[in-house]
Amino acid sequence: MRLRALGLLGVIAGVCLLLLTLQMRGRAAGASEALAVLTTPVQTVLARINRATLGVWGTYRDWKNVRTENRRLRDEAQRLRVEALRVTETASENDRLRRLLALKQSLPLETMAGEIIAREWGGWVRSLTINRGRGDSVGRLTAVIAPDGLVGRIVDVRTGSSIVQVLTDPASTVGAHVVRTRTPGIVEGEPRGTLRFKYMARDGGNLQIGDMVVTSGLGGLFPGGIPIGRVRSIDDRGAALFSYAQLSPAVDFARIDEVLLLTGSGAARDVAASFKGDG
Amino acid sequence: MRTFLAIAVLGGGADVAPDIPLIVVVLLALRRGPEFGCGAGFVAGLLQDAATGGLLGVQALTKAVVGFAIGVVGTRLRVSQPLVQVPGLVVLSVLEGLARYALLQLFHFPAPFGELMTYVILPQALYNGFLGAALVLALAWAETLKERTS
Repeated sequence: MRLRALGLLGVIAGVCLLLLTLQMRGRAAGASEALAVLTTPVQTVLARINRATLGVWGTYRDWKNVRTENRRLRDEAQRLRVEALRVTETASENDRLRRLLALKQSLPLETMAGEIIAREWGGWVRSLTINRGRGDSVGRLTAVIAPDGLVGRIVDVRTGSSIVQVLTDPASTVGAHVVRTRTPGIVEGEPRGTLRFKYMARDGGNLQIGDMVVTSGLGGLFPGGIPIGRVRSIDDRGAALFSYAQLSPAVDFARIDEVLLLTGSGAARDVAASFKGDG
Repeated sequence: MRTFLAIAVLGGGADVAPDIPLIVVVLLALRRGPEFGCGAGFVAGLLQDAATGGLLGVQALTKAVVGFAIGVVGTRLRVSQPLVQVPGLVVLSVLEGLARYALLQLFHFPAPFGELMTYVILPQALYNGFLGAALVLALAWAETLKERTS
């Protein structure tokens, strides 16, 4: 057995050496060609498999890369959307605070800024809760304004917060007059969340839609000249003692976030000049 | 063929390819003895020579010798341990490379020995060692599975 194996090895070694020698003398081209007949088809098949494998692998890698890229881009888009929202919100807040600060600086009264922390919009009561309370020396019936006009008055003072009765509250009444005609009257809140201006019929004959209504300053609670709203429609009741005008509020109560509390004295002063562009 | 196998095994990222026919010859020689190992080595080597366009007979001879030698001494070796397989295949690959180099020197092969050893023979030997051991383990696992199912 071992001898046979050695013999085989000897034969193989002899064949190999013979092949090598013949090749070196340039006489074994035929053997090479004959073997190539066997190896070339195999190599061709292997090359095709190679290409196919590489193709599949390449496609898989591309797919994987695209998937990763897609996930990364989606995350980035999400992050940028949030960032854009934050920037917009910050810009909006900045704008609001700038307007509030401008108003605060232009007012000839002592004021205190407050932030709205809750809203009651049920219909029975329309109020805002602000983050200023007893600790901030806020008093009951303090006037609350925004850069666009009058918001309401403080009706309840708590330890760290206060409740503001909004103008549209059904129980709210404010002494007011029409800027253009000086027609005096009372602005009342309505259950449906609107405002109406109640005035003596004999005084309001020439009232027009679009007229600005501001606080009158009478009664000592609100300074005069704070915008309340514009006349939207007029309800002329003929021979009745009082006529009514529907007002569009100057302040969008649903959207305000910051307010000013008129904490100082001097409620009777006219502050119309601080609300530029109104009237 | 080697390129294909290297790509298939390493995903195309390898500079050196394993000598799979050598590993197959070793496995066959261990199982079937020196005669079969010698014959298988000759055929595999000859086909490799023809496929690569080198001198016909170089790898045929070295692989035939390897197949024969492993067939002879295989029964005395404890080749079931990976700790034996890996260094064993590494040493065997280095020896085969050296034999091939020596044979080629007879025919005035121009490559310097140091570079050939550093960049071809040793990396390929390491590659063969680990790949061969993995193949042996895979085969053993497959056989165990086959025995359990039958």
